[in-house]
Amino acid sequence: MHEVGIAQSILDIAVENALNNRAEVINKIHLKIGRLAAVENDALLFAFDALKEDTIAENALLEIEDIPIKGRCTDCEHEDIYDEIFFSCKKCGSYKVEQLTGEELNITEIEVD
Amino acid sequence: MGKINIEEKVLSKNIKKADALRELFKEKGVFVLNLVSSPGSGKTSILESTLIGMKNEYNIGVIEGDLQTENDTERIRKTGIDAVQINTGGACHLEAEGIGKALENFDLDKLDFLVIENVGNLVCPSSFDLGEDCKVVVVSTPEGDDKPAKYPSMIHVSSAMIVNKIDLLDYLDFDIQKCIDYAKGINPDLDFFNVSCKTGEGIGTWTDWLTKQISDKKSH
Repeated sequence: MHEVGIAQSILDIAVENALNNRAEVINKIHLKIGRLAAVENDALLFAFDALKEDTIAENALLEIEDIPIKGRCTDCEHEDIYDEIFFSCKKCGSYKVEQLTGEELNITEIEVD
Repeated sequence: MGKINIEEKVLSKNIKKADALRELFKEKGVFVLNLVSSPGSGKTSILESTLIGMKNEYNIGVIEGDLQTENDTERIRKTGIDAVQINTGGACHLEAEGIGKALENFDLDKLDFLVIENVGNLVCPSSFDLGEDCKVVVVSTPEGDDKPAKYPSMIHVSSAMIVNKIDLLDYLDFDIQKCIDYAKGINPDLDFFNVSCKTGEGIGTWTDWLTKQISDKKSH
């Protein structure tokens, strides 16, 4: 439910970086969003489209790379992708699965003119 | 057309503010708890039952987060503890900036223990660091024993889980061990407390855990 705030932060960071690099227009913003970041992509895109009007990002697209939940078992070292955050090792059943990815909420790159 | 490499966390503004708060709390030796749950799990009742037994020994402050009303703040104040209300309007979580402002109402030099009772929401507050030492999540028995499995992100970032309203166990199909096992599957490092604010069962063990956290913070 806080996708509007997240969209505003994305816009602020992108515009600030664009202006610092003397760019006039933002064409694309690249994001990495983990499955555990509690962000709904459709809600984020909707909010971003509403907020970008009358800014240098008004024609910008959001390019979202979804990051899966990856875990490594500290008992048997097995590494795997998990659909849900319920960590019982897919190989040996141990609960001692260390989470490697899935919490990302990063802006990685912008494309500008 | 050019590309600009950024590599910045989207919530970096909140993270920076939270880091500054954490540094301040460390300097002042204040243990800070961020209490989270769905609406109606009994966060305020747990605070009423717990803090009343601690207030003679410790200087305690409470920040209450709700969309509107001062009801919870008034309940805490009735126990004789300082409380400040943050009304978020429509927002579903508290942010570090708001905590920074609310701190103006407390004398941090005198404070031992600060409780932030977050907005009742089991999703969004998990993403927003408030500079706390730990998050504690409350699940109550009428909500169902699979609550941790359905809302894993909050379980994942918490240090302890309280199962509240255990006085109702006889009337519900709530399997307490199942609930704890779900939570352990998400976060094996969790501490668990089963409590009832109605009967007082379990409140003592939970209070002991808190007092240990407070004294650990003081000695660092």
